[in-house]
Amino acid sequence: MRFRRLAVLLVLLWSLLPLLWQLYTSLRTGSALISPQPGLSGWTLDNYRQILSGDPPFWRFLLNSTVVGLASTALTLLLAIPCAYGLQRQPARTRALLSGALLAAAVFPYVLLFLALLELARRFGLANHLLALSLPYAGLTLPLAVLLLGAAFRDLPPELEESALLEGLNTWQRLRWVLLPLIAPASASTGLLVFLFSWNEYPIALTWISRQELLTLPIAIARIAGSSVYTVPYGAFAAATVLGSLPLLALMVIFQKPIVAGLTQGAVK
Amino acid sequence: MSGVQRPQGLVLEGLERRVGSNLVLDGLNLSVAPGECLALLGPSGCGKTTTLRLIAGLDQPSAGRIRLDGDDITRQPPSRREVGMVFQSYALYPHLTVERNLSLGMELRGLPRERIAAQISSVLELLQLEPQRRRRPAELSGGQRQRVALARALVRQPRLFLLDEPMSNLDAQLREDLRAELRLLLCGGPQPVVYVTHDQQEAMGLADRIAVLHQGRLQQIGSPRELYDQPANLFVAGFIGRPRINVLPAEAGCIRAVRPEHLEPLAEGGLPARVLLREWQGASQLLQLETPHGRWRMVCDGRVELAESFGLGWPPARELRFEAGSGRRLH
Amino acid sequence: MTLLLTLPALLLLALVFAVPLLRYGWLSFHADSVITGLQPVPNGGANWLRLIEDERFWQDTVQTLRFAGLSVALELLVGLALALLLHHSWRGRTALRTITLLPWALPTAVMALGWRWIFNDPYGPINALVQALGLPALPFLSSPASTWLVVVLADVWKTTPFVALLLLAGLQSIPTDLYEAFALEGGTPAQALRRITLPLLLPYAFLAVLFRLAQALGVFDLVQILTGGGPAGSTETLALYSYLSAMRFLDFGYSATVMLGMFVLLLGLTAVLLLGRRWLAGGRA
Repeated sequence: MRFRRLAVLLVLLWSLLPLLWQLYTSLRTGSALISPQPGLSGWTLDNYRQILSGDPPFWRFLLNSTVVGLASTALTLLLAIPCAYGLQRQPARTRALLSGALLAAAVFPYVLLFLALLELARRFGLANHLLALSLPYAGLTLPLAVLLLGAAFRDLPPELEESALLEGLNTWQRLRWVLLPLIAPASASTGLLVFLFSWNEYPIALTWISRQELLTLPIAIARIAGSSVYTVPYGAFAAATVLGSLPLLALMVIFQKPIVAGLTQGAVK
Repeated sequence: MSGVQRPQGLVLEGLERRVGSNLVLDGLNLSVAPGECLALLGPSGCGKTTTLRLIAGLDQPSAGRIRLDGDDITRQPPSRREVGMVFQSYALYPHLTVERNLSLGMELRGLPRERIAAQISSVLELLQLEPQRRRRPAELSGGQRQRVALARALVRQPRLFLLDEPMSNLDAQLREDLRAELRLLLCGGPQPVVYVTHDQQEAMGLADRIAVLHQGRLQQIGSPRELYDQPANLFVAGFIGRPRINVLPAEAGCIRAVRPEHLEPLAEGGLPARVLLREWQGASQLLQLETPHGRWRMVCDGRVELAESFGLGWPPARELRFEAGSGRRLH
Repeated sequence: MTLLLTLPALLLLALVFAVPLLRYGWLSFHADSVITGLQPVPNGGANWLRLIEDERFWQDTVQTLRFAGLSVALELLVGLALALLLHHSWRGRTALRTITLLPWALPTAVMALGWRWIFNDPYGPINALVQALGLPALPFLSSPASTWLVVVLADVWKTTPFVALLLLAGLQSIPTDLYEAFALEGGTPAQALRRITLPLLLPYAFLAVLFRLAQALGVFDLVQILTGGGPAGSTETLALYSYLSAMRFLDFGYSATVMLGMFVLLLGLTAVLLLGRRWLAGGRA
């Protein structure tokens, strides 16, 4: 099929060219970006050197984002799993009502909430605390997480839990030994989506965190770009983009299946 | 001997379950003695699985009482009732090996390791599952899974066995083989056994007594022979016995019915019948006949050659009579 | 008893979703700005009256709707094509899925800067290309006519994979024997697409549109970084306006009112979508 090959090629160019351009930019000297350079000159690792020796060094932001991402994922799963389990055990009407509210919340453009969340952060002294970010992040990802995990619980045959009940297992034991191992794939997909969200989140991190050494990745990169009034230092910025994207790239390559499963499950259920 | 003797076995008193305005089970009374195997038989939706779930405690009755060896267990949580249950789907834990499937409950109840190991080994040996010990359910055949489910019910040494259509997922040959095995394993022990099925052949082959349910009501309870020879009403007569009983139109408030195996061709006279279909089944043959009373079924010796048309007769003693309105059998 | 298990999550949800909305309702009837010394003072409906007469608000509403409408329409079209491509089974499918998902996985904030560089005048690669053709460099990001289209392009680039994935889930839910039966009756592949695929895909497309429309109405990161709302406010969206009202003009009462205005808009559009779906479902039955 020649037509399909062409289509695939187009898709590849469309998806990858902007990213490859970042990679290219990050490896070029400033003057090489502005005027053509002869031959093999104009290539450099200076951009990487510059951001890695900055104050704070760039890996600090990677660390910050990783910490927030892991904390948010853990908190979301900790709250969402019991909630999804409990939800499945409610009468049909309560369940439908709550599921509807969760769907509305999952669709809601959360930017709208930033001002009130900022007020809350200030009142409770949560601003400029890295781990505190995982509270709004968990709150914002809970609707999707509960819906996904609820669907996973609903897919399990009820006899499995009944059988465990008859064998004398209490609620916690049934959850721990019978149900949790069986919803592990759904938990993994959900966790990955939560991690991606918190890694990429912008408006809340922008307003909650002002101390340079606590910035998360997107804010730090945006700040690099905003550090000079007249020209954006594109080389340094591109290097930051490449470094900040590598972990995501790895995540996507390793976990493509569960991420896709999570997203599509969200649609089906 | 001290005063009152406690009734042994399982007793259901006026058990009732409503779901919304729907009466799923309507005042069920019955008892199962220790070691007795009672089959709950009926078409789907008759309330048999509901009854089983009420006994297990998975659903709550809206009225009535459940007693086990004299104790009222109606309000006891399922985890304390000590029943061994085999589900229709087997409900094996897919993430655990056969061994762990059997041991999980006992482990979490804190039984000593050696005792668990000993119990498991003896049950696995009994059911010839020793080679499958470390396999997961997905790696087992249908028959093996069914035996693992059985083993899991056996291993905890329950006070009561409950089986919900345990063989409906197996093919016919396997079902026949397992029927005998099941009877040897479960029945005649110290526990009452309640076995739910919609297959009358299975019920008759396995049970000491059969309780026939229809629309949430107990129609009749008795030995397989009693149900066949003396059905309490037209429903039981139609449900027990294959091929189905032939029914004559009501006459003077009385409905007569004859089983296919009791029909015989007459030299002259009788009910005129024409052969529509012949099914040769080896030792016997099944005939579908057209008669003035509609389609009838007849079973006779496989070697007999019958004409296309003949007269039908039956010994009057074999005829069953029912009251036209209520369907109750007349004596 | 099991309701108790849902409680911690529901509490956090209330705190994150319900409390802010209630707070905005309260704030929108208060002046809370530098003038009042950043203390809330009741001002009746003054914020709402101001909103109704605020030309900037209405201009931003139009710009937001324009952006959301075009982006979502393009995402749906391109997403459908992409989903059909990804649905076919061939050797490289898994790799292609991973690659197409990459734009969706990367932070919007980061790629927004990337686009700024790509459309840079005169050094970006697009303008390098334009100049190589002998044309003068185009001011993509300093002309109102083209800037909003660059924003749409950036949004389509990032979120089409998500739409495609939802539609792919829909495609996978259609049993293949439907197509086989249709082919046996003499239907062509094009007819199958029109008669089977599209109708059965409708619920998924609806969900994708609902989700994407809500998110596009709230577009913030992309605009704030790519254009800052410019040139001359031509790409400012409602979310950016409310952000600037609060963080730059320190007018919290009015910022809350703008957000509620946006919320009302969102509710209205959702209602229209739901009615549209009912009408479509009714039309088919």
